Amino acid sequence: MLTYMFRRLAVGLAMLLALSVLVFILLRLAPGDPVAAYINPSAPLSPQALAELRARLGLDQPLPVQYLAWLRAALSGNFGYSIQRGGVPVLPLVLGRVGPTALLMGTGLVIATVTGIATGILSAVRRNSSLDVALSAVASLGISSPAFLTALLGLYVFAVKFHVAPAGGMLTPGVPFSLGDLLAHLILPACLLSLGYAAMIMRYMRSSLLEVLNQDYVRTARAKGVREVWVILKHATRNALLPVITLIGSTIGVAVGGAIFLESVFNWPGMGLLLVDAVSSRDYPVIMCATLITGAGVILVNLLTDLLYAVIDPRIQVSK
Amino acid sequence: MMNVKTVSRGLMLAGLMMGAAVLPGPVLAQGKTITGGFDVGPGGFPKNFNPLAATAGFTWLTTYYEPLVIYNAGLSKIEGDLASSYSLSPDQKTYTFKLVKTSWQDGAPFTSADVKFTLDLARNAATGSVFVARLGAIADVETPDDQTVILKLKRPDSGLLSTLTQVMMLPKHALADKAPASLATSSWWSTKPIGTGPFTFSRYVTDQYVELSANDNYRGGKPKVDHLINRYFANAAAAVSALRAGEIQFTYVEPDDARTFAGKPNFRVIEGSSYVVNYIGFNQKVDLWKDVRVRQAVMYAINREAIIKSLYGGAAKAAQCGYVAPQLVPSGLNDYAYNPAKAKKLLAEAGWNKINGSKPITWLTYYGSQQAANVMAAIQSMLAQVGINVVPRVVDAPTYNGIVYKQNNPDWSAFPMVYAGLQDGPNPASINVGLNKSQLPPAGANIMRVQFNDLSAAFDAALGETDKTKVDARWQDVCRLMNKELPWGTMWVANRYGVASKKLVNFVWTPAPAGGPFADHPEQWDIK
Repeated sequence: MLTYMFRRLAVGLAMLLALSVLVFILLRLAPGDPVAAYINPSAPLSPQALAELRARLGLDQPLPVQYLAWLRAALSGNFGYSIQRGGVPVLPLVLGRVGPTALLMGTGLVIATVTGIATGILSAVRRNSSLDVALSAVASLGISSPAFLTALLGLYVFAVKFHVAPAGGMLTPGVPFSLGDLLAHLILPACLLSLGYAAMIMRYMRSSLLEVLNQDYVRTARAKGVREVWVILKHATRNALLPVITLIGSTIGVAVGGAIFLESVFNWPGMGLLLVDAVSSRDYPVIMCATLITGAGVILVNLLTDLLYAVIDPRIQVSK
Repeated sequence: MMNVKTVSRGLMLAGLMMGAAVLPGPVLAQGKTITGGFDVGPGGFPKNFNPLAATAGFTWLTTYYEPLVIYNAGLSKIEGDLASSYSLSPDQKTYTFKLVKTSWQDGAPFTSADVKFTLDLARNAATGSVFVARLGAIADVETPDDQTVILKLKRPDSGLLSTLTQVMMLPKHALADKAPASLATSSWWSTKPIGTGPFTFSRYVTDQYVELSANDNYRGGKPKVDHLINRYFANAAAAVSALRAGEIQFTYVEPDDARTFAGKPNFRVIEGSSYVVNYIGFNQKVDLWKDVRVRQAVMYAINREAIIKSLYGGAAKAAQCGYVAPQLVPSGLNDYAYNPAKAKKLLAEAGWNKINGSKPITWLTYYGSQQAANVMAAIQSMLAQVGINVVPRVVDAPTYNGIVYKQNNPDWSAFPMVYAGLQDGPNPASINVGLNKSQLPPAGANIMRVQFNDLSAAFDAALGETDKTKVDARWQDVCRLMNKELPWGTMWVANRYGVASKKLVNFVWTPAPAGGPFADHPEQWDIK
């Protein structure tokens, strides 16, 4: 197990290095740079002044020199300074955004997982009932609704129209922190984030459970007189969960994309909003650091998912 | 005995409990607080705390810093702020400022030494200051006593006073020990800045909001509210949602949103000139626009009145030159009234078929709003009717700047034509950077590479005019030449909007370019 973990971590580090090169090159290929983003087109600065700013930021150096300088500093833990924010160190800035994004994504995923699995089991055990049909219809709607539509509709209905949830942000400005305030801001974006995933998980759970319920060992358990609830929860559901876990693990990266959009709509101060903001202002150091930390997170979650297989299904041995 | 029904009921109950989780109500800020999106829109500069680096965002900066002089709320004249009075010598080469008696927010007295210190920093490129070029006319700053500052100029500069409205005074006693080069990345600006304004800096919650508290010792009287909060939003639409939800009391809004607030009992729509002239820029480095008849044809082909009426709802003024202020626009200008037949005739005379014919011409812009898209589509269609085939290309501002400011081997074909805007007021000298041949890159921002000798001479004459009674006439000369030679196809100056809750009392806001600054007296703002 340990050898497997170290091997995966080494591959992960190599991937991160490749990611850093790729992002660095792509950023430089994109038109405009942090200094170009600094200019208000209707109140321009002279190119001479811009060249001075560019030199001060080291953007006038050849690309390999710039990359190596960045890499050297990054390896010593210095990811540079945010250009847009006048010199705020990037690492604490980005790490400070991990928490809000993890909170939003984690809450959304927990809601999606719990409701998806629960409704999937309900649908499977009551196959072809009116409840099954209704849940399947809702799931189809959830899967087919684009995230931007549900987010904007949710914002309009719950925040603007009925004032039952805040219109954005993570905490009410100017007041001391309270858990209630945080929850009030969290619940709407988390629920909206969970919609699509809950629907997907429900569909997977239902079909997987239906397949398992027809297996011989389930029939055997029933024949032995095991109570139906245990047959479903212990014997059938545990085995039916494997594809669902794969689904959850493999969609974490997609969930990051969803969170980026949702954070922009709800002004949630997470990694997504930071990245969108950094890209629009060509804040290179922030983009590099945020991309690497997000990439590291996705690699880590995928590794954990693989390890979880072994816990759920003892037949799988990750060391091999 | 538990069965399938029991499992189902249990799961449904759990689902209901989750769904029925009690939502805590909104938490109210303590004390009288005004919250707004003060840095939303083109006049804002969110997350910038350094006034030396500010190209916008002055509405917010002047809630805790102050300049020597400031525009009045109508942007019609410059008046004293930290200067109680000022005078200009007859040769226009010496400004004398008398300072008000006041203190910094930490109690230290504000003196002429602070003014000299600030102006030295603002003229020092090592600080990352964006004012270096604009303060280039200053030869020396003298401080004969604590309450007097004398600026000696190398040459008359009619734009200097306007520039000084954006230079926020900084405390020498707090910043003198910092190396100028370290100021651009100093955390001082966003942690413990000290100004002389009506509010003091309380805290900055990274990328979310800035909170200020009332400066009880402010010379203009104790502010009426305890706190002022500036919330950051990813875009204007998010700020509008917060305004509608009652979470903020003010924000800039896009024109389409402004219309939805009209007549609503709880809101006040504030409308004013953008002081930005929208123009079609003709890149003089490409052969398409060398013949003035082609440029005239473009103007005659566009029905500006119809666009202003239908797409701007009448909230724009047609621009016959770079500005629309009545005192600067002479009579007898060509209004280029819509005349497609004349446009076709001019194109035929110029030999347009040989110059370009129906080949597509890239029309670059950084304007990404729906309104701009509609305007450009309308113009594209009008130009197509006379045989000019333009293809709009919308990019974000950094991409646009990256293209038009490229220094080595610029790709002229990437921007043969642009749809852009340039600040044209309150001081008309603002447009000099885009049209005078002395402002060709790298010296200036004449990105369309306009090199008309008589126009440049007219600009130089207006900028150097020392007789106050003749200044307007000089700018009229510039206007007349712009109208005749068409270095740009000037379109209009549109209005901009803000929306304020009717709970606000004495609230003053003007859609000034770069956020002003202007005398909005935040100490008098109140909330019901």
